[in-house]
Amino acid sequence: MTADRAQTLVWDWTIRLFHWLIVLLIPLMWWTAEEGMMDWHRRLGLTMFALILFRLVWGVIGSWTARFVPMIKRLRSVPAYVRGLIACRNGPSFGHSPIGSLAVFALLAALSIQVGTGLFSVDVDGLESGPLAILISFKTGREIADFHELNFNILVALVALHIIAVAIYRFVLKDDLVRPMVTGRRGDVEPVSTVKVRPMALIASVVIVAASLYAIINAG
Amino acid sequence: MKTLRVKTAAPAIAAVMILTACGESGGSEAASEASSEAASAQLPNGMTIKEQIEARQGQLEKVGDAFKAISDQLKAGSPDIAVIQEAAAAVPEATQGMADWFPEGSGPESGIDTDALPSIWENMPDFQEKVGNMQEAAAALNTAAQGGDIAAIGEAFKTTGGTCKACHDDYRLDD
Repeated sequence: MTADRAQTLVWDWTIRLFHWLIVLLIPLMWWTAEEGMMDWHRRLGLTMFALILFRLVWGVIGSWTARFVPMIKRLRSVPAYVRGLIACRNGPSFGHSPIGSLAVFALLAALSIQVGTGLFSVDVDGLESGPLAILISFKTGREIADFHELNFNILVALVALHIIAVAIYRFVLKDDLVRPMVTGRRGDVEPVSTVKVRPMALIASVVIVAASLYAIINAG
Repeated sequence: MKTLRVKTAAPAIAAVMILTACGESGGSEAASEASSEAASAQLPNGMTIKEQIEARQGQLEKVGDAFKAISDQLKAGSPDIAVIQEAAAAVPEATQGMADWFPEGSGPESGIDTDALPSIWENMPDFQEKVGNMQEAAAALNTAAQGGDIAAIGEAFKTTGGTCKACHDDYRLDD
């Protein structure tokens, strides 16, 4: 890390790549489902599965700002943080703010449920199905598909909330959160820890994701 | 734990959901307001409307089971032809007489939970033709299945699936 504080790294490249790929994939997955392009919906869904699983593993063995344990600890200070926001007292956070941590957990939960139900979903004709639907009956697959559709609305609502929150930070609190999610860096925070992609952690994560993908694709 | 989190978040975001969950409902609201007397009314075939709706749902669920069974086998590395043959034989059997399953009054106006759209009764000749197309394709699928040629089965399966979709697109709520 350079001495220049303007170059403090807060988000490693895997987190940034993950974030923007999800931004790209959510509308694409919605669109392929609407258009009935189920081959593509399945392919993109498996890509989404790989991304989410990677993020979940990275939350355990990844770089410091990606880790779940510090984020869970930060949840306790959500009320105090929100009071601070209202009074315009809070400075920028190194990594996820308390309420940002809550948002990450909510979004990851909704995304995990969406991908998880998608794996087992069956369409109304029994023609199209997720790669793991082979393990369950038509009726159960239909019920899961209904939940898949309901949960998508919840996911969209959470995304809308997320975008509104980022806009409030930008225009009301004068804190640009988008740029750091692109460059990974911001100039106004004290680094609590070094953000670094450890090669062994990256390899381990990729191996776990690849093995899981392989198991799903060959479940038939 | 995850489910719980989403559930607790749900009421708070209900307002936003209204914006996103468009293109649904409408028909079902009118249905729930209809009197339940209509549901127990006798149809000319001797069944009540409720019985008629539940009977056709049960039959179409059998078709769903059969289609999923065939789809699962076709996706598998080495399809079990016996499973495909049994499922393919079940489709013509389950859909026999389907043209008579939708008597006047057995739509959503009955107040019974059904995904059948009122457009069925507005376009009965077209609906009947589409049902006929499906039965024809299902018979061909059964013939192909008993023949045992996987490639031919795959083709016939696609064709039959297309006839399901053709009807569902116009005459079934949602999806």
